[in-house]
Amino acid sequence: MTGMHMAKTQETASVLVVKNLGKEYKLYDSPRQRVKALLTGRAMHRSHWALRDVSFSLERGQCIGVIGDNGAGKSSLLKLLAGTMQPSAGTIERSGRITAILELGAGFHPDFSGRDNLYFAGSLIGISQEEMRKLEPEIIAFSELQDAIDRPVKTYSSGMNVRLAFALVTAVQPDVLIVDEALAVGDQSFQKKCIERILDFRQKGCTILFCSHSPYHIRHLCDAALWLEKGQVQMFGETEAVLVAYDARTRNLQKEKDRLQWGEDVPTDALATMSDHPDSADLPDAPDAPFVVKPPDTSRVVPHEGACILSADIENLDGGDPPVLRGDDLVVTIKVRGNGDEVPNVGFMLEQKDGVGITCIATHEEGAEPVRQPDGSWQSVLRFTDLPLHSGDYTVSAYLFDRSGLAVYDHWFQYQTFRFVYPKPLPGLVRLPHSWS
Amino acid sequence: MRTFLHSIQEVWNARALVGVMTRREVAARHAGTALGVIWPYLQPLLSVAAYYLVFDIVFAMRLGEGASSHAVGTFLIVGALPWMAFCDAVSRGMGSLLEAGSILQKNPLPPVLFPVRSVLASSWIFGPLMLLLALCYIPVHHMQWGVLALLPLMAMQLLMTLLLSYALAIFAAALRDTLQLVGFALSVGIYLTPILFPIAMFPQGWRWLLWLNPMASYVMGYQSALLQGQWPALQVWVVSAVWIAVLAVVVNVLVRRSRDQLVDWL
Repeated sequence: MTGMHMAKTQETASVLVVKNLGKEYKLYDSPRQRVKALLTGRAMHRSHWALRDVSFSLERGQCIGVIGDNGAGKSSLLKLLAGTMQPSAGTIERSGRITAILELGAGFHPDFSGRDNLYFAGSLIGISQEEMRKLEPEIIAFSELQDAIDRPVKTYSSGMNVRLAFALVTAVQPDVLIVDEALAVGDQSFQKKCIERILDFRQKGCTILFCSHSPYHIRHLCDAALWLEKGQVQMFGETEAVLVAYDARTRNLQKEKDRLQWGEDVPTDALATMSDHPDSADLPDAPDAPFVVKPPDTSRVVPHEGACILSADIENLDGGDPPVLRGDDLVVTIKVRGNGDEVPNVGFMLEQKDGVGITCIATHEEGAEPVRQPDGSWQSVLRFTDLPLHSGDYTVSAYLFDRSGLAVYDHWFQYQTFRFVYPKPLPGLVRLPHSWS
Repeated sequence: MRTFLHSIQEVWNARALVGVMTRREVAARHAGTALGVIWPYLQPLLSVAAYYLVFDIVFAMRLGEGASSHAVGTFLIVGALPWMAFCDAVSRGMGSLLEAGSILQKNPLPPVLFPVRSVLASSWIFGPLMLLLALCYIPVHHMQWGVLALLPLMAMQLLMTLLLSYALAIFAAALRDTLQLVGFALSVGIYLTPILFPIAMFPQGWRWLLWLNPMASYVMGYQSALLQGQWPALQVWVVSAVWIAVLAVVVNVLVRRSRDQLVDWL
């Protein structure tokens, strides 16, 4: 279905057409073999195909997320599209300007000033000296380097380096933008600026190819997803469908791995018994265990400035270990400090203690803006009325997002575990809404 | 020769960028020094001045029969300066791809630009020095028309150095030992070039060995142009042209065999 849809629009607006793309890495046993191959022209290598027979096309304004395990060929694909690597087979038709944010900050000469490097690195990506003179003030403003721009780059912090590099590569609106996990650059306010700039490109009709391990970002940014598996396209289509399929596959693999770890001779009901009593598997909690990894306690050191989570308290917990939730409702009060006057968003995640996710909730998904407090902080109170869970231990995490819900300012991952006791002794995880007739 | 022509086309298409990269390379060679751009010029000038002072003023050594000049220093300088240019360009050009590895892995640029910019940066320094030398030697060659041979000789030396550097840069990417091997060859090479002695002093039966050195013909050409004001012998031009043709074929083969994996090797 997707294929037909693609083919129909191919003539009209495709900015990137990839046909039967393949990349072979030639592995030589030693550099000497490499020279022998150079001199004789004979094949002295074993080949490893990082990509094989990959075909797809991108239309103007589309945003595609690339997912896949490590070693599935994501980076190779991005490098081929960016043109830094030559394909061993197939063709890539590009039209317009392609900008790749692959690994930032490379190519700056440490002895030259930031401004000097700007002009030189600009000419490497096709920005002429005259053009650069026009772009320069905007780039320096965006990079927030101010006077430091005339200092040698070797005096820069890594953050300054990355800021300058990002400001430079995104100074000109590209037709295709290739982003490789680069959203995690700089401090939180710069990260936000980066995301805003990328979103702005997207609104102006730039095609974006985005490679990330974060399903959250792919889900929010991308119209379609491409799943690479062992160098081949496993699935290409609507984001949600691909992510769900990928997730299911990952879970299956994990299960398989666990099975191998436990050994085939462990009877399945023994495994079931163990997971029924999570405590019995909690060996590190034994009194004579030398080292105990505990979830961080709630008395965290709160930084003095910048957006962060201030507190995320659960009501009605007793003092046990783990604390037991008294009452039927789960009420979480999350207090955060935002970024200036921008309205932040708050997320919350509930998991079974041994790792099965139960639900994720975020204010920006539900239009529930946090409430401004007199001291300038923000507060959201989340209430699960009559918590529909069975007995067990549960772990919670809290997240702080920016207004768009794309930049994660702060997260308290699995910061608290609590025990919930459901009075009826029926096994299960959640009590779904239901009716009998 | 399709691959070779393609490389030429790549350089031509990016000529503005090559200009920027060359200026930058020259600047990088003296970055952070107080004297700045004078340094790259000063180093060869000082060596040349030392040769002149030691051999012609202090010791006043004389060469015997068969030399195109009898003053040792005057003779030595004519060969030594182009040899310095050659060594500088080849050793920098050879390492240029390895050095540019991180840039090439992040920017879609043709690799050929990097050896080209290294060699051009060297000739930007040594070219003017050669012309300056020709001016200083007016009392020796008396501005006879043979001096004009200097220009085609310099152009051909540039071309030969470009090809050799590119070929060695690809080799160095495949095998790092190339840098050491060639470094050694360059330091020994001055004795296998008729720089310190006139070719007449070389045993007759072994003279053909000198032609296996790509710089020998150029050094002899410069000697006849600058020391005698004579147009160099046909042999000089033929050997130089053959060297260029052979290197062009070698580069063509190397680029074709390494093109799709060169950047992975860096």
